[in-house]
Amino acid sequence: MKPATFEYHRPTALSEACDLLAELEGAELMAGNQSLGIIMANRLATPDHIVDINGIDELAGVAVDEETVSVGALTRHRDIERSDTLREACPMLPHAAEQIAGPAVRNMGTLGGSIGEADPAGNYPCCAVALEADLQLVSAEGERCVSAADYFIAYMFTDLGEAELIRGIEIDRAPFPPERTGMAFLEQKAAAQTWPTISAATAIRVDGSEAADPIVEEARVALANASDVPLRVGAAEEAVEGAPLSEATLATAAAAAIDAARPEGEMHADEEYKEELAGEYTRRSLQQSHDRATATAPEVTP
Amino acid sequence: MMEFSGSFTSSHSPETLWAYFTDPAILEEIGPGVKSMELVTPAEIDAVLSVGVGSIKPTFDVDVTVTRTERPGLLEMQIGGEAARNSFEAVAVMTLTETDNGNTTCTWEATTNVSGLLASLGGRALRSVTEKLVTDFFEDMEAVVEEGRPAESTLEAKADAEATLEE
Repeated sequence: MKPATFEYHRPTALSEACDLLAELEGAELMAGNQSLGIIMANRLATPDHIVDINGIDELAGVAVDEETVSVGALTRHRDIERSDTLREACPMLPHAAEQIAGPAVRNMGTLGGSIGEADPAGNYPCCAVALEADLQLVSAEGERCVSAADYFIAYMFTDLGEAELIRGIEIDRAPFPPERTGMAFLEQKAAAQTWPTISAATAIRVDGSEAADPIVEEARVALANASDVPLRVGAAEEAVEGAPLSEATLATAAAAAIDAARPEGEMHADEEYKEELAGEYTRRSLQQSHDRATATAPEVTP
Repeated sequence: MMEFSGSFTSSHSPETLWAYFTDPAILEEIGPGVKSMELVTPAEIDAVLSVGVGSIKPTFDVDVTVTRTERPGLLEMQIGGEAARNSFEAVAVMTLTETDNGNTTCTWEATTNVSGLLASLGGRALRSVTEKLVTDFFEDMEAVVEEGRPAESTLEAKADAEATLEE
């Protein structure tokens, strides 16, 4: 089908977009248009106005300084995937980006679109929760900052107001010194370009000792599609913290993930299977983060 | 058929709360997704409400019939909603129980049939969003009561009405 009639707006400044959202009744934002276009063509969504933000250059881009990683909402998956600065400072994001759908989707889809859609199976929502990212939300009223932990409320339901748009995300670099931190984003999916059944975003920081088995100082674990929101698994983090990584601590972490997971059964994967995957992918992802944290050579762009 | 339920604790008495829960003007202001509301009779309300999941936001024409009231402890309503390619019917019951310290435990239960596009999202998604909307409603109601705004109890049960839902 073709979409129902709508009025199209293409602001070129952020303030202009905010004014349009404040003014218009029944407006929907369009970024990379990799989800909205489909549900509009099916007439599941019939917004009266589309505010296309692709012309707002200030919303796109990656900036990394000593304290903070900042990624603009309009940054494409492809640019996140190819960013050497992100691969050095916050490799979880490129790892998550490179596994999203196929190349055509990655060329257009955006970070902000994924976080705005808030599909619990989405990659970036899971990363944002694992990394304790802050989200910058702007409107004609001004700007506010919401932690990812508070932003995702229910299935595709967020703290984003009707007249707000996501400007970008910021991640504090202090917990993730690159020389002793490893990150991983592992997806299980039935086919290359589909949504994942379960994903596990993890990070591990080891102590600075030269020991062969360094102590895990801090771990992060978040799962996608294991609940109605991205699921942070604190018990899995605690299971591996404070000791060198071992089969035993990984097994405890996996059990914690299985315990925390509240997945919805799907046609190809029932609840029990998804819980099992949540455990196994937590284990594998933590192992991979640990291998990267303790590797001597820095990661390179594939 | 799907069933939803939850509870909320208010720091006001059932008698105080009752006026607010049966005041159409207050319900119009804080009801989840309510765009407009009109009292047809003291037992019947016509409303327009827009609720949705993600970008799917159907606008429903809703008929509400108050089927049972036991002031100040129980309110039962039958609700039917129609939107383009979506519809639902529901029976909702709210009970207000006074606790030992004069607070109130509000419990709610809704049995509903949803059809159309929203139904295709699955029970888990609808439950997740419904519980969020209802929790917001009780929190907003508590804030209105805290403000000390006056409320006038207008709703009453329709004579001989019985709430029913198709199996």
